[in-house]
Amino acid sequence: MKRTLMAALSVTAMTAALAACGTGDDGSGSSGGGGSSDSLTVWLMDGSAPEPWVTELNQAFEAEHGVTVDVQIQQWGGIQDRLTTALSEDGTVDVMEIGNTQTVGYANTGGLADLSELRDEPWNSNMLASAEIDDTLYAVPWYGANRVVIYDKQIWAEAGAEVPTTRDEWITALETIRDNTDAEPIYLPGQSYYVLGGFIADEGGSFAVEDGDEWKGSLNTPEGQAGMEFYAELQSFSDSPTDNDEASPQQSTDIVPNGNVASWIGLGWEANGAIEALGGEADFGYFPVPGKTADQLGNVFLGGSNLAVNERAGNPELAREWLALATSQEWAQKFVDANGGGVVPNRTDVTANPEAGSFAEAMVASADVGFLPPLTTGWANVEAVPNPIKELMTASLNGEDYASAAQAADSEITTRINRE
Amino acid sequence: MLTVDTEGPGTGTAGSKPAGRSGRRYAPPGGWLPYVLIAPAVLAIVGILGYALVRNLLISFQAFGRRQLISHTTEWTGFDNYRRVLEDERFWASLTRTFVFMAANVVLIMVLGTLIGLLLNRLAKPMRLTLSIALVAAWAMPVIATTTVFRWLFDTQFGVANWVMRTLGFSGYEQHNWFSSGFSTLTIVTVLIVWASVPFVALNLYAGLTTISGEIYEAARMDGASGPRIFWSITAPIMRPFFLITTFLEIIWVFKAFTQIYALNAGGPNRESETLPVMAYIEGMMQNQYGVAAAISVLTLVILLVALSFYFRLILKQEKEPQS
Repeated sequence: MKRTLMAALSVTAMTAALAACGTGDDGSGSSGGGGSSDSLTVWLMDGSAPEPWVTELNQAFEAEHGVTVDVQIQQWGGIQDRLTTALSEDGTVDVMEIGNTQTVGYANTGGLADLSELRDEPWNSNMLASAEIDDTLYAVPWYGANRVVIYDKQIWAEAGAEVPTTRDEWITALETIRDNTDAEPIYLPGQSYYVLGGFIADEGGSFAVEDGDEWKGSLNTPEGQAGMEFYAELQSFSDSPTDNDEASPQQSTDIVPNGNVASWIGLGWEANGAIEALGGEADFGYFPVPGKTADQLGNVFLGGSNLAVNERAGNPELAREWLALATSQEWAQKFVDANGGGVVPNRTDVTANPEAGSFAEAMVASADVGFLPPLTTGWANVEAVPNPIKELMTASLNGEDYASAAQAADSEITTRINRE
Repeated sequence: MLTVDTEGPGTGTAGSKPAGRSGRRYAPPGGWLPYVLIAPAVLAIVGILGYALVRNLLISFQAFGRRQLISHTTEWTGFDNYRRVLEDERFWASLTRTFVFMAANVVLIMVLGTLIGLLLNRLAKPMRLTLSIALVAAWAMPVIATTTVFRWLFDTQFGVANWVMRTLGFSGYEQHNWFSSGFSTLTIVTVLIVWASVPFVALNLYAGLTTISGEIYEAARMDGASGPRIFWSITAPIMRPFFLITTFLEIIWVFKAFTQIYALNAGGPNRESETLPVMAYIEGMMQNQYGVAAAISVLTLVILLVALSFYFRLILKQEKEPQS
């Protein structure tokens, strides 16, 4: 009886699904896409765009083209699955924001429209690299963001620690805090692999290198080992376990607000989240990740997002128009201003004027030493859970032999990165 | 997929044992009504499971990744996916791990379940009721909820397991990471699965035991039989169909266990706690290698069918014996 009931339910569900498909097919075709010809569906990521900027932009666009723009905010968690699904079906989304490291993963899938007509705009060349593959522009840079060191001014003053300009001074400051206070000198989880990537880039290395037509993992190298050694030195000042990353537990809302963390490495939205969780009473200072010498800041992962047009967009011309408007000099400048200068601008003709002592000031300082992970389709496979770089970090921090663990990680990276 | 298929007939057999089995299928149909009544269920199973199975089989012979999914192209590659899977050491490691894991779980579930079932039969009413409620509660708990609670229990920093070990005076449990190796992770998964599966065995055994007449035990005791002797000579033979079918079901359930393993540690660390279903998911959904994942799941299905066919024959043989 139970099974019949289930069967009946299943049949109902199937009918409903089929009916839904039917309407979908009717709606798509030449006029479908994200809705009908008089609407545009845009996916933006959670926390990316300030609400007033989006509203103002859409009002301007709607006034000019007479169509409504439906902006849907997406969460980062599981976004790749949703993007893949959306790109494989008609009638889903017209314009979407894609993380800069994820863009390349969609480049040769046939899901992203060729935007080469926008190639000659004065894009930030560092950011352009993540959107342009084999001389084809699959997306357009929108904004950049990178990590800085966030510190609790009060604890640092109490310890008598000074803001460092080199790695050595950084370690000295952390030792001072360790010796003079009972605070955790720096919170650094064991698997913050983009931080590690910066240290490896400081040595001139990277996660993977091109080897003829193929890519191969390059962690079992002197550069990789030196980067990991410095990471381990920093991590020894942290109480964090070695098998978690900065998102689990979320450092900005689950760790820092619980108190007694003298410093941590984070992004702008994380700093804001921590301040909010502390009831707005945090007294944070910010400095760029120091390099080996005072005249060279440390490399930091250049995060950020691109905007792209779905190849299956219902109205490709409108979608391109919206994208071009959003990334134009006028609206890009407004975007940077709306963020209080807290983003790295996507164009060279846009300037960010962050307040002195703000997160944005420290961030923009190291924007020029930003590095990107290997820009190839298979990189998304490497980053997917279970991430071999994270596994290597935990193994190494737990005292396993670096060379053998790195060799294992390299072979896993090589396998995955050469997959489509 | 497979389980839904086998579960139906399985529970049916357990519930209404003596019926069926005689040459019923050769008899002419007793009107159309039974067929009409069963049609929705059959259609649903064919529509949902059958379609998915066939599609899975087809995908396993294709190069099917993100590009093919998005651009709607079909690239047939013959046995390439199977070759890749069979040449992958990880597949064989997972296969071995899956069988060892399954054997350990099924043995523990059957032994503990039987002991608790026997206990239920001997307890007085108030305690029996208490124990039954505890068992039903464990059985009824949603898997993700229990997994989350277990994750917390064994947390490195704040877990109660570490606290208990410290309180008992063991050293080295200051921030001990219970998920630092595949073996340790799977041990915790085993505790979780055994805890959640024992009630099914215990309650069903108890239900079966209540149908055995007390006179048989009385007679045995008069003859001076000990407890273990009574179990092996009376209870076990009478309950043999129950033991066979329950073991059969538990093998399937543990073999396809995915949620507990994946939710506890995602097959980690370093993919050391990966069983075949988890491997198929990680290769397919996380790596976008749908063709390879389909090949893994087809192989899993074939392996399970082969393993269970021996067992199924055993059940059929054992069931026939008393009659002949």
